[in-house]
Amino acid sequence: MSLHLSLRQRPGLRLDLRGLVPATLAALSPAEIERMDIAQGNRFVPLAEFFAVTRRGDGDALVLEGDLSRCDRLGWQLAAGNIVVEGPVGDYAGACMSGGELHVKGSAGLLAGCEMSGGALRVEGDVGDFAASALPGSMDGMRGGSFVVRGHAGQRFGDRMRRGTAVVFGDAGDFLGSRMVAGTIALGGRPGAHVAYGMRRGSLVFAGPPPEVASTFVASAAPIPVFWQLLARDLARHGEPFGALRARRAQRFLGDLSALGKGELLLVT
Amino acid sequence: MIRNGVAIDDTFAEAFPMKATRIVITAHNPTWARHAAVSATGFATSVIACGCEAGIERELDPAETPDGRPGVAVLIFSMSGKELAKQVERRVGQCVLTCPTTAVFAGIAEGEAVALGKNLRFFGDGWQISKVIAGVRYWRVPVMDGEFVAQESTAVTKAVGGGNLLLLARDTDSALAAAESAVQAMRRLPGVIMPFPGGVVRSGSKVGSKYPALMASTNDAFCPGLLGLARRSELTPEIGCVLEVVIDGLTESDVAAAMRVGMQAGFEHGAEGGLVRISAGNYGGKLGPFHFHLHQLLEAA
Repeated sequence: MSLHLSLRQRPGLRLDLRGLVPATLAALSPAEIERMDIAQGNRFVPLAEFFAVTRRGDGDALVLEGDLSRCDRLGWQLAAGNIVVEGPVGDYAGACMSGGELHVKGSAGLLAGCEMSGGALRVEGDVGDFAASALPGSMDGMRGGSFVVRGHAGQRFGDRMRRGTAVVFGDAGDFLGSRMVAGTIALGGRPGAHVAYGMRRGSLVFAGPPPEVASTFVASAAPIPVFWQLLARDLARHGEPFGALRARRAQRFLGDLSALGKGELLLVT
Repeated sequence: MIRNGVAIDDTFAEAFPMKATRIVITAHNPTWARHAAVSATGFATSVIACGCEAGIERELDPAETPDGRPGVAVLIFSMSGKELAKQVERRVGQCVLTCPTTAVFAGIAEGEAVALGKNLRFFGDGWQISKVIAGVRYWRVPVMDGEFVAQESTAVTKAVGGGNLLLLARDTDSALAAAESAVQAMRRLPGVIMPFPGGVVRSGSKVGSKYPALMASTNDAFCPGLLGLARRSELTPEIGCVLEVVIDGLTESDVAAAMRVGMQAGFEHGAEGGLVRISAGNYGGKLGPFHFHLHQLLEAA
């Protein structure tokens, strides 16, 4: 049976939900879960103060219901299991996750999927700034796994990203893929300014409107049919606007020459 | 046992364990994929001095390859995983990396990994880049026609080497014709290669020699020119030419299936076509753990 946590009312202060992962909760009864401490500001309160806990229905997912936009660090360091959020969620959703699946049916706040190294993070709505990036002070951002945003992304999406695949169906804010170390980002919508600023390696695919390419990138005419087919076939599983990429061509820019310069922008034509 | 006038000896082919991998070579068109595959499987008839036994398994449609281009599936067999790794690297490095428009992928997913593009990437002199797509790492090495894409590694699997059929015929023409039709039938099957020239070997060998330095020497019992001279002969006076088809397969059942269709092709050729007997090479059962009894193979069919 799935474990359902229903938010009683929107909390006045932000809640820190780290530790609420399926592996920890599986062995506990609803009553024991309700007695768990969760952090609110600088004090701990019993979970029951904010959530009603029930087990029902099929599956083994952890399901959270209600407006969780003030609930942070959900799925923090998630290693296995399935978490579903039926509405919006706060900051750091899926941060540092290494496995399992986190499915947010609403929007996520800041730093969603930052430093994730494995597993799958799906956000049906928008994500805030610094998604798929690094924790403050850290050298590497997202470093593995699959991150799909069906809505729009804020600024600095994929900042310092090192590995993994991130797909944004909507528009992206400024500095998409800035300081990117490696990995793949595919964008369906309109990019903001300063795309791939300081990019070292990695691939940015623009399936929709082309970005303004900085003068520190060089156009490349070299054919890359094999790589393009491998990448386009993999992106096709996300559906439109990435479904038909394999039948289209990509214009390629290499850079950022102000950094290592081994990255590429693939502008689908 | 006699089929269509062809006698089948009550004997068995003796085969031994090998290590093998399949690689998929794709290119801009089938011609260039074939050029690379032919080159990469060249000088790979016997592990005795070639380091590996290799051959083209089959050609692949664009729908069957990872990059949607025409390709060729190649099987490479060796006596150890270490030797196989060395041969794969040399052959892919010299014959696939060099061939215009090609790319190379693993053709087997399960098994211990050996390097495919992992070391060849250094040809890129620092310009190479890697990309993980759907959990698989590829290397992209800049070359003069664009870039060479190679999957990082391929998998090694246990395999069976040295399955064989001996075709004993009246004369050269009938032996060649029977061997050619047997090889043609076997090539339609998956998971096997016939590594010798045209799939056929005329210098079948026995273990040992009068010369201490040699591990193997001519199979005098099957040499028509030594009938009456050698101490023991398997031949009769009407046999003028013997040819052997050697089969390496990914599994025991692959080799068995190939031997079966090879024999059936021989029967179609028949005594009228000059094929007298079908036999098989073994070493008394001491060398290899895989024994393919000819009668049992036919009875199973």
